Amino acid sequence: MAQVAQVLKQFRVQPNSTSLEEARKRTFEFFKLACRSIPSIMEIYTLEDVVHPSQLRASVLAEIRKNAHITNPKVIDLLLFKAMEELKNVVDHSKQRHHIIGQYVVGRQGLEDLAPTDPGTSDYLKKFYNSNYF
Amino acid sequence: MGLSLLASRALRLSRIPSRATQIFLRPIVSTRDLNTPEPATSAAPPPPPPPHRHPVGGARVHFPTPDDAIEVFVDGFAVKIPKGFTVLQACEVAGVDIPRFCYHDRLSIAGNCRMCLVEVEKSPKPVASCAMPALPGMKIKTDTPIAKKAREGVMEFLLMNHPLDCPICDQGGECDLQDQSMAFGSDRGRFTEMKRSVVDKNLGPLVKTVMTRCIQCTRCVRFASEIAGVQDLGMLGRGSGEEIGTYVEKLMTSELSGNVIDICPVGALTSKPFAFKARNWELKGTETIDVTDAVGSNIRIDSRGPEVMRVLPRLNEDINEEWISDKTRFFYDGLKRQRLNDPMIRGPDGRFKTVSWRDALAIVAEVVNQVKPEEIVGVAGKLSDAESMIVLKDFLNKMGSNNIWCEGNGPNPNADLRSGYIMNTSISGLEQADAFLLVGTQPRVEAAMVNARIRKTVRATHAKVGYIGPPTDFNYDHQNLGTSPQTLVEIAEGRHPFSATLANAKNPVIILGAGIFERMDKDAIFTVVNAIAKKHNVVRPDWNGLNTLLINAAQAAALDLGLVPESDRSIESAKFIYLMGADDVSLEKLPNDAFVVYQGHHGDRSVYRANVILPASAFTEKEGTYANTEGCAQTTLPAVPIVGDARDDWKIIRALSEVAGIQLPYDSLGGIRSRIRTVAPNLLEIDERVPATFSNSLRPESSQKIKPEPFGVTVENFYMTDAITRASKIMAQCSALLKK
Ligand code: SF4
Ligand code: FES
Repeated sequence: MAQVAQVLKQFRVQPNSTSLEEARKRTFEFFKLACRSIPSIMEIYTLEDVVHPSQLRASVLAEIRKNAHITNPKVIDLLLFKAMEELKNVVDHSKQRHHIIGQYVVGRQGLEDLAPTDPGTSDYLKKFYNSNYF
Repeated sequence: MGLSLLASRALRLSRIPSRATQIFLRPIVSTRDLNTPEPATSAAPPPPPPPHRHPVGGARVHFPTPDDAIEVFVDGFAVKIPKGFTVLQACEVAGVDIPRFCYHDRLSIAGNCRMCLVEVEKSPKPVASCAMPALPGMKIKTDTPIAKKAREGVMEFLLMNHPLDCPICDQGGECDLQDQSMAFGSDRGRFTEMKRSVVDKNLGPLVKTVMTRCIQCTRCVRFASEIAGVQDLGMLGRGSGEEIGTYVEKLMTSELSGNVIDICPVGALTSKPFAFKARNWELKGTETIDVTDAVGSNIRIDSRGPEVMRVLPRLNEDINEEWISDKTRFFYDGLKRQRLNDPMIRGPDGRFKTVSWRDALAIVAEVVNQVKPEEIVGVAGKLSDAESMIVLKDFLNKMGSNNIWCEGNGPNPNADLRSGYIMNTSISGLEQADAFLLVGTQPRVEAAMVNARIRKTVRATHAKVGYIGPPTDFNYDHQNLGTSPQTLVEIAEGRHPFSATLANAKNPVIILGAGIFERMDKDAIFTVVNAIAKKHNVVRPDWNGLNTLLINAAQAAALDLGLVPESDRSIESAKFIYLMGADDVSLEKLPNDAFVVYQGHHGDRSVYRANVILPASAFTEKEGTYANTEGCAQTTLPAVPIVGDARDDWKIIRALSEVAGIQLPYDSLGGIRSRIRTVAPNLLEIDERVPATFSNSLRPESSQKIKPEPFGVTVENFYMTDAITRASKIMAQCSALLKK
């Protein structure tokens, strides 16, 4: 973990990628770095009981895949820079637990309705459970 | 226009005299035009006929004998008034509001503040209109320079010794002195000496005194001795040493003492619990009714945000006139303590766990579906409204049980004859009575406002009062005839001296206490009382003097709706008991394995035994119909929002019925009211008293034997009778200090 933090600390803005190939390689490196930092993130934010590391990995991956259609190396560099910044903030504990949970744990599928939906209940009962004023 | 004209003229003139003359010729009255007042007669041009005005407050004048009407002229406008009216009343009929401090319609006339001075033609001096009877042809002038100057002078004298502490005075904003000095006072005073100061008196936990503010109007003294019937307050000393106080260091022990706060025209007597809590212009008033006893006094609840700040009376000539009892006025702090705000289930460890409504209702529904119908029991509490009681009854009936009743109605109550449980004479009708027989009732603690009516009658007509029951306090003359029903038998057989009184009375009244409902021999007592009524003509086509005095707000409506249990032993065999705010029902005989659902707003007695708590709203938070002891239906209105996650009573039961699989057919107050229309249409005649149709004499005679046990005391502690008042700190202080 300390390693990851070290790498991040020494992170400098790199010269622009010369080709798409290079940008692609940098993306993989970033993903690996993120994956390596996940255990420490789990620990910093005590996420054991809300999420599994693989879910976090999947959500990082999904963030990357969202931009899969981009082919301009310059744009990819910029996005990578922003991603690295975000990762740094996360690892440095510059965020709070609910940020992580909100953005990467439940943020994916949105808050699901935890209340059981009983299809048989009437309109009255639904309103009753909601509030006294209807 | 007049005022601004005067002001500008005064401004212009005041520049003219030199400084020196101004000092030596300081005018007596600051308003220039009033400096040389001349009798109004000398005003040469006759004023144009004044526009027709309506009586103050839209009042109507009642002429007892039309021949006795006399005509007087107020500001040139002729009005017809009955003989015996005072000048002030004549002015009110003419639509002129005379400023006053000591005069109060319901108190005797003192005539000591002199604020009500008016000019009467041909009288050398202005006259105090409140004390002067109007004579035929009198020409009253209320708007002349003489009258204005007189008021300004009186105002200046009153303010001489009045502290200028309006910013820290609780009366500020609703103070007669403040208003009237703005309207009639001068803009400066000439008093340069020290103001006098007066030691504050301790009148108990309810009334705060700042006696320096007192203007010696003696309204409070007259109220205490005339209406409340206690000789506690009085006037001590003379001249500038005059003080209002209790003669010796003593608290004011009356159940109506809070009313002196309202009648005091200044801030000398204010509410102790309300002191420095809010300014009155920040408050929102909600016109509703009181439910702490069966009178249903009309009140206004003043709230700020979610908090009830104070309770004030509303005028209703038929019920509470303009007074309320101390319990009604000061119990409101109980609405903030001990409140239930979340549904809770008692876990296996005996502790309550907060759950969601969904879970709570699911558990109740599961249990209620497992027990046998005859093991289901429902009890409505004494503060329940008619709507929730009919919903509870419908719910239990749909479950197959008919064991439902309302606290205080006793075993197998009579719900068939409405005349058998309401006050047939009506509360205001008591004023026509000339003999009272009180049976097993202590009206002073059971219904303070009814007691005030009886006292008013006794004072006005010297009506005789006979009382049967344990020794108790009365604030009027009475005879204690005995303590047990045996005395009733003697009266019925004419062996008792009081039967002669009843026989000679034109409008005799018998009042039975609701405590009799709990007695085993109540049918026998009712039979004897019916015999007395028949013998002395208590019930005639033009007069019904046979009354029952109820003690709980829910009682009358419960009987109207037919909340009568099938068997009076149902509690002993109950497996599921639904308590809708019922805290005074005895649960000792309840089997240990019974499942108790408590729905209510306060964590009071029954919560200790409850398995599930469903939080409901208090009467200040919901709309509900209540019938008072004379059978007049009135509604409460929500003044503040509900506490926490509570729900209205009827909504909870309606939701529960659906979860239990027997959905009730209504889901709005309107729907419930149409249901009530089929059972008790009189409950929908809001603010309209519906008399009972059939007289109580139709009641079959009972073969029961009268028991010799004496009548008991029904209300032990006037100040603490229900869940809300028991949670109130002020009521606890009152019971500690004032209960003898
Ligand atoms: S205390 Fe109030 S009501 Fe009593 S005499 Fe003084 S001003 Fe009047
Ligand atoms: S009101 Fe008439 S003298 Fe006080």
